[in-house]
Amino acid sequence: MSLAMYYFLTISAIYILMSWALYLPYRVAHLHFLTVANMLISGYLAGYLVQSLGFAFALALVAGFVAGGLVGYIVSLFIGDAPTFTVVIVGFTFIYISRTAVENIKAVGATMGMFGLPMVAGTPNMHRLTILILVYALIVVVGFLIYRFEHSRVGRAASVVFVDKDLATSMGVDIKKLGRLVQTFSSLIAGGCGVIYGFIYRSYHLDFFTFHLVGIFMTVIFVGGYTTMWGSLLAAPALYGLSLILPPAVASWRIVIYGAILIAVLVLKPEGFITRRLAYTLETTLSRWRKR
Amino acid sequence: MQVFIAQVINGLSLGSIYVLLATGFNLLLLVAMIIHFAYPQVVVFSMYIAWVVLRYTGNSIVLAVLAAILSSVLLNVISAPLFQKIMKNREEVDINTTMVMSLGIGMIITDILSHGFNKGLPIAFPPKLVGETPILRVGLISLMGGQVASLAVGVIAVSGIFLLLYKTRPGRAFRAIAEDPNGARLVGIPLLRTGLESYALSGILGGLIAVLLAMLLGYSSPGLGEQVAHKVLAVSIIAGLGNLAGGLVVGLALGIMEALVQGYISGSWSNAIAFVVMLLVILFRPRGLFGIKL
Repeated sequence: MSLAMYYFLTISAIYILMSWALYLPYRVAHLHFLTVANMLISGYLAGYLVQSLGFAFALALVAGFVAGGLVGYIVSLFIGDAPTFTVVIVGFTFIYISRTAVENIKAVGATMGMFGLPMVAGTPNMHRLTILILVYALIVVVGFLIYRFEHSRVGRAASVVFVDKDLATSMGVDIKKLGRLVQTFSSLIAGGCGVIYGFIYRSYHLDFFTFHLVGIFMTVIFVGGYTTMWGSLLAAPALYGLSLILPPAVASWRIVIYGAILIAVLVLKPEGFITRRLAYTLETTLSRWRKR
Repeated sequence: MQVFIAQVINGLSLGSIYVLLATGFNLLLLVAMIIHFAYPQVVVFSMYIAWVVLRYTGNSIVLAVLAAILSSVLLNVISAPLFQKIMKNREEVDINTTMVMSLGIGMIITDILSHGFNKGLPIAFPPKLVGETPILRVGLISLMGGQVASLAVGVIAVSGIFLLLYKTRPGRAFRAIAEDPNGARLVGIPLLRTGLESYALSGILGGLIAVLLAMLLGYSSPGLGEQVAHKVLAVSIIAGLGNLAGGLVVGLALGIMEALVQGYISGSWSNAIAFVVMLLVILFRPRGLFGIKL
């Protein structure tokens, strides 16, 4: 497999996972940008554990997941039922704080970053294959869990919260508890993604975790469709692939292109390309076809 | 003591910029019902336009101010139909989607500034605008022209907006829409025109802020908008969204706190400390210190 294809497959997978990490809290109308800070915190933690303390990658990955989940849970205690704009500002604040902290901590390379992280398997090819298998296995597991969530009572409760919080409360939905659940799970996913993201490049740098990343994930989720989990599966490779097939002079403007696509979709197709109705039609058609 | 006084003066001038930005932001929130997260990016874009005009007109400050105001008004008014279309699509006021749209606009502006101006490098404003020598110097305390101007314009502009909102007919229309859009429509207030007026007004304010920020900082960079955007939204949330008086108090307090932290703590930790304080307030009082006025 060529290096370009490897990067396309792995980064697209990270985009899918991260947009799911945003999608899940958005089911209760929370734009949980804390996930990008979770990526940064868990990524640097794993990098430090592996490079400086000699931990095995698997252990560092687990630490990354735990750190992500823990930060997400603690923050969710305060903003589990906060308004969307408060959740947004808390997320952005965490990105700033964690970036500033990393900038000033020499043990994780400060502004220089961490380079030359060890391979997760013996040879470069094995390293790439392992990362690829790991990230797609994660997509299957996370996708399955989100699918089950969506088809459960809790998922339906989340849909009610999105439409009308007062109605959800009067129906007995514990909004705060639900908010905590989805926020913690999304931070957990983001923590793991942060670890893998760095090991794809075998380095960590603050430039990996900028506000552009927030913009990209947001574009993926809103262009793909924020009402179902399937939109991100299509939009992530399409949008990332777009920047690869464009001529370099145009591709350098990819954020402008993403922003323009995001605005166009919000105006012309407010629910994104894969709407809930479309997903339902596809699901029923598929089940009918299976019965035949 | 001199350091303290100097930093309080710095903080007041920086805080007055936050107050102006929060006022423009809250005006759009109250009247047009949008969270215009990209408003500070619009301001930074206007700073760049002012810089271009200064470069090509031999540092004509009058033309630069006019260009900054014009660009800010244009950007605001051009974005208005997009926000209106989103509201129409959803047949309701949907603040969250307007925020996403605004983040998209912010992404575009920041990237255009990164690629289209000065090869993405920070820009420096000429000493003619920034001021070469302090107006007043007593020991460590020095007062620059930009600081005096930002404080003076800040006081005048915020007083002007308060007067407009509470003592004039258009102001009453603005407040009526903020209070009850349907009721306002029933009594004959044109929602669309009044909304557009609020975009234009915050645009004028944005242009002025751009010039003041240029005078105060002496430079600009593509990432400045994002940083300021975050602080302005934080000021508005800490004060209570839509609360103009609260924004005044919190904006000044944040400016002073930031300046004091910068004065006494070295390194880039100062920014983080300001953010931590902001975070604590947001976490413990998510609806703001002075209450939401929406």
